[in-house]
Amino acid sequence: MKLGWDSEHESFRSELVSFLETHAPPEALGGRDLIGTDTGDIPQWARRWQAELFDNGWMVPAYPPELGGRDADPLECLIYAEELGRRGIPRSVHFGGYAIVGPSLLEFGSEEQKALAPAAIRGDTIWCVGMSEPDAGSDLANLSTTAVLDGDSFVVNGQKVWTSYALHAEQCFCYVRTDPDAGRHKGISVLTVAMDSPGVTVRPLRHITGSAEFAEVFFDDVVVPAGNLVGELHGGWRITMGSLAHERGGLWVDGVAAAERAISDLVKLSISMGRGSDPVLRRQLTELFVEVQSLRALGYKGFASFAQGSSAPEHSYMKLASSELRQRLYETGMDIQGSFGAITDDAAAVDAGRWQHSWQVALAATIGGGTSEIQRNVVASRVLGLPRG
Amino acid sequence: MDFSLTPEQEMLRDTASALFSREFPSSLVRDACYDPVTDGASVAAAAFDRHLRPWISMGDESVVDQCLFMEEAGAAITRAPFWSASALALPLLRAVNHPDADRLADGSLTATVALAGSTGEWIANRDLTKMLVTDFGLVDIVVFVDAGGNTREPEGGSDSADTDRSHTDSGDGSAGLGGEALVWVSPAADLEARVVENLDLARPLAEVTRPAMGDHQPRMITEADLHSVLERASVVLAAEMVGTARWLKEATIEYVSTREQFGRPVGSFQGLQWKLVDASLELEKAGAAVYYAAMCLDADDPDRHRATHVAKSAAGTTARRWAKDAMQAHGGIGYTWEHDLHLYLRRANAADRLLGDSAWHMEQLALDLFESGQQHV
Ligand SMILES: Cc1cc2nc3c(=O)[nH]c(=O)nc-3n(C[C@H](O)[C@H](O)[C@H](O)COP(=O)(O)OP(=O)(O)OC[C@H]3O[C@@H](n4cnc5c(N)ncnc54)[C@H](O)[C@@H]3O)c2cc1C
Repeated sequence: MKLGWDSEHESFRSELVSFLETHAPPEALGGRDLIGTDTGDIPQWARRWQAELFDNGWMVPAYPPELGGRDADPLECLIYAEELGRRGIPRSVHFGGYAIVGPSLLEFGSEEQKALAPAAIRGDTIWCVGMSEPDAGSDLANLSTTAVLDGDSFVVNGQKVWTSYALHAEQCFCYVRTDPDAGRHKGISVLTVAMDSPGVTVRPLRHITGSAEFAEVFFDDVVVPAGNLVGELHGGWRITMGSLAHERGGLWVDGVAAAERAISDLVKLSISMGRGSDPVLRRQLTELFVEVQSLRALGYKGFASFAQGSSAPEHSYMKLASSELRQRLYETGMDIQGSFGAITDDAAAVDAGRWQHSWQVALAATIGGGTSEIQRNVVASRVLGLPRG
Repeated sequence: MDFSLTPEQEMLRDTASALFSREFPSSLVRDACYDPVTDGASVAAAAFDRHLRPWISMGDESVVDQCLFMEEAGAAITRAPFWSASALALPLLRAVNHPDADRLADGSLTATVALAGSTGEWIANRDLTKMLVTDFGLVDIVVFVDAGGNTREPEGGSDSADTDRSHTDSGDGSAGLGGEALVWVSPAADLEARVVENLDLARPLAEVTRPAMGDHQPRMITEADLHSVLERASVVLAAEMVGTARWLKEATIEYVSTREQFGRPVGSFQGLQWKLVDASLELEKAGAAVYYAAMCLDADDPDRHRATHVAKSAAGTTARRWAKDAMQAHGGIGYTWEHDLHLYLRRANAADRLLGDSAWHMEQLALDLFESGQQHV
């Protein structure tokens, strides 16, 4: 055990830092919670930034150059996450394409489908991921959107919901039921569906923040070529488990970096609001500081097991811990403002309403990508080995 | 930061784990302190002599290594002056080049340190006449630390009250030290002491009447060096508490997986599962925080002060939480004298209060955070 990394890895870091310092657009700096512009579209600067990262081999560093990377090793991937996290720089504002669809196509797709991956990762093609349905949220295996094979095409009927970026997406990575008689997990397949296909209707849904980032998607006798099947017929459940495997050791970095920024800003905020000697607040912030620091250490501990190829139980804890922690941090930011804590007007609010906004955004973090309750169930059975109910 | 263990570190951990589970069954402390039998104390002392004396020299090794060893120690309850001698007294005597350090390291001497006054504060202060001393009665010598004589007044000096508050208070128990302190040693047998019963009977506490320094040949230690010693002792104690919490967690998971009510294992009830998940998450975090602090101490990183406070408070908090949750998850059986759970409950709740409790360490952190926050507003 030691604090630093070797010099070879530090030179990777300095190359990255100088790229970020010269190329990152001002809009990307400072860790603002970017998800969800008012109309759910993707700003031009974000498109340019993602393409620039890709072209310079800084989009998914573990990938080879043709996929936007530079064949980085796991530690270099961690350093990458650290440096972006420290500066609050997002690499993309729509993670579905580069983090889910690209890697899944590369792992499970046909040769033609693999060829779609670079554009998904570079952000040239906007993808949405259609998993959740009205009756299939946490219980994804209950999904009921059907796809019936008819000659050389599927006919798709059903509905998806909470589908991020559906309004602006060109393609949907869509989970469908292809065998209604097989077991719940056994009759599921994945199709890529062009969003401009006849029979696809998108109805925007607004977040609590007001942004129309997600949507409902309806499929009405949508005809999809059989060649759009990803992986095996009825083999879709496996694909739900796929994503950027080589980055799994560092997925926590971003959330922890945001929490570290928040805690030091909260201390400053409480001082500037004249509450720096309020003993209750001091204690509250110190407890949060202890949590942030120990969570960060836990992330690195998990990385060590990951890098050695062992499974890292730490990672099952990280999403649960960091999403809940961030909600508490931002809520504390509102509490420090006292009666002003509910004001969201950019001009009148403290810190331009940053805490209020981030708090609203953070409320989604304990729901999307597996709710906190589901995470606890997973830890109970897979990490602690407790008997199933 | 790299948490991977070297093969030597893995071996050290495994050796310690085997040593404690083989040589220190709970019957040893039960016979020595909880249900004393005639030769209970001498059997426990013999086990210490044979198996732990050779390891007192861990206090000369890297902090990470000592933590790996102490985490395993914490998963067994021993009645032995091991932490006092190896994590507190040895580094302190080493810091002042005291000849007794070598005798501690070679196992021929055992020692503890008199730091806490009768108020329970872990401060070096010459004015205190009654000192609370851990493991007194189990050691050969007691090391005293006196606030420095030739600098500021130890308490309430006019210049120290507000302007310099964080410096005088943030020193891991050395409030009012005033720059430097004197370290000197007295044979335990020469001291007047009264046993003070505490929750943890296996880590005895005594109130020692401070003797005059007399001709005990004091040695000077700087405030910074004393901090380092106390930081090390705190982090190693935190590692011990992580081990204690780990035992409580493992015992609980085993029990709730087999105990059945309503026709199913009680560990399958979601209400109990989530309680254990949240407590396990806290333990994982505390464990990581402890080794991060140990790495900071080994590297003399500037973050070492904060990391120590984080580690000690996180470990103390999680050990106490696990004691309580383990008790609850065991139901009535855990509340019995026969079950080992209360030995760990006692240790967890007593250990958190050594070298400053969790609340005290958080207050030190708050002083630091808000002072540096002030500079950046
Ligand atoms: C901002 C945002 C973006 C999203 N983007 C997408 C997207 O792009 N694509 C997509 O497919 N989906 C997306 N989702 C959907 C998300 O994956 C689901 O909301 C999530 O899986 C939870 O499902 P649900 O909303 O149906 O809640 P439910 O599953 O109905 O849960 C309701 C409550 O019951 C609890 N619960 C459920 N099961 C259990 C259990 N076994 N034990 C204990 N408690 C339980 C839940 O934790 C929750 O508190 C998004 C969601 C959000 C908030």
